[in-house]
Amino acid sequence: MKFLKHIITDEYPFLLACPTFLWEFIFLYLPLFALLFFSFLDYGTTYDSLNFTLVHYTTIFKTIYFRVIIDSFILATATATLCFFIAYPVAYFLAMKVSKRFRTFLLFSLILPSWTSLIIQIYAWFFLLEKNGLLSRTLCQLKLISPTTHLLNNYFSILVGMVSCFLPFMILPIYAVLEKMDKKFLEASADLGAGRFETFKRVVFPISLPGVYTGFLLVFIPAFGEFAIPSMLGGAKNMFWGNAIVDKFLIACDWRSGSALTSIGIFFPVCVLTCIYLIFKIIKAVRQPRYLKSAHAGQPFKDLLM
Amino acid sequence: MVDNKRFFLRFIHPVYVSLIYLFLYLPIIILVLFSFNESTVSIKWVGFSLRWYRELIKTPEIIAALQTSLIVAFVSTFLSVLLGTCFVVASKWWKNTWPFHLFYANILLPEIVLSIGILSVFTFFQIPVGYGSLIAGHTLLGLGYVIPIVRARFVELDPILTESSLDLGASYITTFRKIIIPLLKPSLLAAGLLTFTLSMDDFLISFFCSGPNVQTLSVYVYSMIRTGVDPTINALSCCFLAISSLLVLLICSFKVVDQVLTYE
Repeated sequence: MKFLKHIITDEYPFLLACPTFLWEFIFLYLPLFALLFFSFLDYGTTYDSLNFTLVHYTTIFKTIYFRVIIDSFILATATATLCFFIAYPVAYFLAMKVSKRFRTFLLFSLILPSWTSLIIQIYAWFFLLEKNGLLSRTLCQLKLISPTTHLLNNYFSILVGMVSCFLPFMILPIYAVLEKMDKKFLEASADLGAGRFETFKRVVFPISLPGVYTGFLLVFIPAFGEFAIPSMLGGAKNMFWGNAIVDKFLIACDWRSGSALTSIGIFFPVCVLTCIYLIFKIIKAVRQPRYLKSAHAGQPFKDLLM
Repeated sequence: MVDNKRFFLRFIHPVYVSLIYLFLYLPIIILVLFSFNESTVSIKWVGFSLRWYRELIKTPEIIAALQTSLIVAFVSTFLSVLLGTCFVVASKWWKNTWPFHLFYANILLPEIVLSIGILSVFTFFQIPVGYGSLIAGHTLLGLGYVIPIVRARFVELDPILTESSLDLGASYITTFRKIIIPLLKPSLLAAGLLTFTLSMDDFLISFFCSGPNVQTLSVYVYSMIRTGVDPTINALSCCFLAISSLLVLLICSFKVVDQVLTYE
């Protein structure tokens, strides 16, 4: 009893945080590691004798599922890249060229669609692009497409859905960085004789890079694991990681190879992105002129970027 | 020539931005418009009517799905705000910040992985999926947002306030109730609203964890769309949109946007 009292009075910060920790571990970390563990187990294994095997991984690399993961990687990269090119001018406009009150309104209307249900957004595109939908009818009457052209169920419709759903996640981080940027940099750059393009290339863009990275991640991660958009706008022909997981877990109920698929899907993009990052870093180090390597000159905005 | 070019730039930029906004809003606007359409064939505009909204109220499945969604959203909001706040308050006694990094996983992992995890826990312990798994998943999702938002406010609090309260003889619980909670109130409200919105809109976790008997609104909409276009879905989406925009408006008025932005 005394021990219990001691715990309640003295260790209460721990007690206070305990439920949250438990919740997090039971519902997130425990199943993650369990899935990783199960993906190495043989089908015939019992709890008395554990047979470890790599067969689930090798089958994934041999069959179409690896292709599926690569396809989702390409799709997610394409979505993020497209979003970046579309979003940057919008973020620049919001941060630099709008009065403050109008900007609040614009930001609000940007957040509104991204926080309404994803399903509704997808359905809206479905409704528009469908065979008898408004867009295909209109384009058909304008003789821009033939009546047999399908706007839905192809790569294009998936990409359109993805970009429109995830665009705000790219715009907002870039906007946040550009908005915080000291506008005196622009004047200074102009004073030093740089043109508009030069200023953008040397000052604005390097400063906004952290926002670009954040936006890239915020778009890439959900786009990689997306299930609803390919399944509703892409038809049965296009299969991606999310759909494959749903197939494995909910339809085939094949938990072991499903968990192998899940863990490859988590580790593959991480590995590829890390490799790309390292390659860029090496290229940068190699291409840097020697006189810059010796003296720490030549990067005026370095501490801004850090 | 230079003036010409500058005019062109000045002109083209707003046009481009408005085109992007149009791209984001066009499908939604058309959806809303056609939900008021009299005709059964979705494409032809016949006349204004509220027929599909009447049909909506008459369908018992939709009412049941709405009820499920609301129950799950309320409970998971309450739980995630409660758990998150306790965690943040307890963090005052720790020296290091690594426990906070644990919760980045809730946001950074693809949602599909979260939902598989919860499904596997419930299957492993042979608990039937339903309200329990839905609430577990949505609370997990909410924690990832609640903890950073509440923490941002909690760090700014003056420690003198709590210390003087303790000095004056208040117990820990009284201090928590009378000092800490009122000071954290704006961020608690904002975080709660955000979690509520997330939970209402969430599809993937609901899809995995809802099971055969319980259906949330978004899963219901999804299963309806699989069977084809139906004007009732338009009406339902329209209601959904109205609720969501109301929530977003509320969130914006609590300035949670700034907090989320600075956090991200």
